[in-house]
Amino acid sequence: MNNSSIIKTKGLSYHYSKDVQTLYDIDLDVERGSIYGFLGPNGSGKTTTLSLLLGLLNNQKGDIEIFGVHLHANRINILKKIGSLIETPSLYGHLTAKENLEVYREVYGASKARIAEVLNIVGLEDTGKKTAKKFSLGMKQRLAIALALLPDPELLILDEPANGLDPAGIIELRELIKTLNKTHGMTILISSHLLAEVEKIVSHIGIIFKGKMLFQGTLPELHVFQQKGSRLLINTSDNDTAMQLLQEYDPERDGQGFSVSLHDQKHIVAIQRKLIQNNLDVYLLQPKGNDLEQLFIDLTTAQ
Amino acid sequence: MNLLISLRSELLKTRKASFYLTLIGAAVGPVMFLLNVLLDENEIDPSQKDPLNAVFKILSDMNGTALFPLFVILICTLLPQIEYRNNTWKQVFASPQTKVNVFLAKFMNVHLLMLLFLIATHVFMLLAVVGINFIKPALNLFEHPLNGITVLVNAANAYILSLAVCAIQFWMGLRFRNFIVPIGIGFALWLSGTIMAVQYKSDLVFYFPYSFNAFPVSSKLKLQLTQVAWTSLGYALLFVIVGFIDFRRRTVSK
Repeated sequence: MNNSSIIKTKGLSYHYSKDVQTLYDIDLDVERGSIYGFLGPNGSGKTTTLSLLLGLLNNQKGDIEIFGVHLHANRINILKKIGSLIETPSLYGHLTAKENLEVYREVYGASKARIAEVLNIVGLEDTGKKTAKKFSLGMKQRLAIALALLPDPELLILDEPANGLDPAGIIELRELIKTLNKTHGMTILISSHLLAEVEKIVSHIGIIFKGKMLFQGTLPELHVFQQKGSRLLINTSDNDTAMQLLQEYDPERDGQGFSVSLHDQKHIVAIQRKLIQNNLDVYLLQPKGNDLEQLFIDLTTAQ
Repeated sequence: MNLLISLRSELLKTRKASFYLTLIGAAVGPVMFLLNVLLDENEIDPSQKDPLNAVFKILSDMNGTALFPLFVILICTLLPQIEYRNNTWKQVFASPQTKVNVFLAKFMNVHLLMLLFLIATHVFMLLAVVGINFIKPALNLFEHPLNGITVLVNAANAYILSLAVCAIQFWMGLRFRNFIVPIGIGFALWLSGTIMAVQYKSDLVFYFPYSFNAFPVSSKLKLQLTQVAWTSLGYALLFVIVGFIDFRRRTVSK
């Protein structure tokens, strides 16, 4: 195991029923001190993977190491150092914010002062006797994050934490995650189905689709990957002829026109010149959606 | 130590609602008795030799056969439901507690409430008797001392005879997401068990846990009280083990 890895899974596979495989050989590698964005559309296997990491599901195949030790042999000690929020907030509606935290305070070995600290971090210090069932969804989400922060964890696992938050809440959450990572040194594994939601805060990205990892690496590595996959959209007066002329650029039909691979911006000029020299009218010459969001969509729809 | 921490966590989750539910349940018997005495002049016969112990016998019969078993069915089923109702099982299992501690802490929480019920109902009864003594001093309720040992034995019988039902209902409460199902099953079985014991037409009552609480009030079955107490303990142990094996297999799916 890489010394800097805080989570490492090898060949993780899972099925809920025998004929439907949910995960295929997931090799997750989350580095200590990173903010790891675990991305994939709904139903791609994110929550299943995170549930396996927390021991909420029994591991069927593959290895899970967290903090350098096997999960199943050291589950309780590992969980003492993990804060988690899996999907919807898990709160007792009849209890106040403080009481909800008090339920788990001794379980995590946290001090009484820690309750005030975490409520302060998430901005819920003034909720008084208001019970959790009367909280807005955003407040519930923040209280669930406070609960995850209670043990002052080394590793924070957040599954779709922005679900139900308004734009201001999402921005607040991003700032909170950045602060926890930088100031408190927490490693954060955050799952989302929207790249744009986490793109601004993550240092590493893993993309999962239909239970298979499509990409895993740092953000710069994803940019390199993205460059390799860039394409140029073209529409001319005679697309069939144009596609024959541009065989070397790997042309493919795309909507009304076609697209060619684009590894260098200089190729755009060469392509344009070639089309004009062959008496073709060029109506469109445009790099195809060249951002990470497009890459994410391409990766998760091309399969 | 870890078990005590888990128990504390369980007590904190349930202390408000279950505490009041228990006190309300415990007050039903004494309140019914109080109303009867206030509304019916002949409820207590002043000429009776030992009216104080007689009224405690009425309470123990009422509690033992109906109120306590019904409370046990309710509390054993509703307490584990707190996690379903709040969708909190995943937080429980993602916290650093072993499943055995979570299971035992929940089971101990149920038993603390059962004991609280028995203590509270006798305290309320005592208060009701004191109140009646002030309102109707002619009854001479405190002329004879209260037979504490009998009261204690009756309460202990009610508790031990309910252990089997408690373990079965606790298992069902953990298993069913919908609390109506285990409560409905529990009430139906209790009703059939009580009718079977009262009629006593078959030896099945000696093996049917929901009949056990009616044994102390049946003159025919009272003699076998010790035997069914052991049977109740045996069933309780069996269903606690079965319940835990089932609970240990549990995972939190999506």
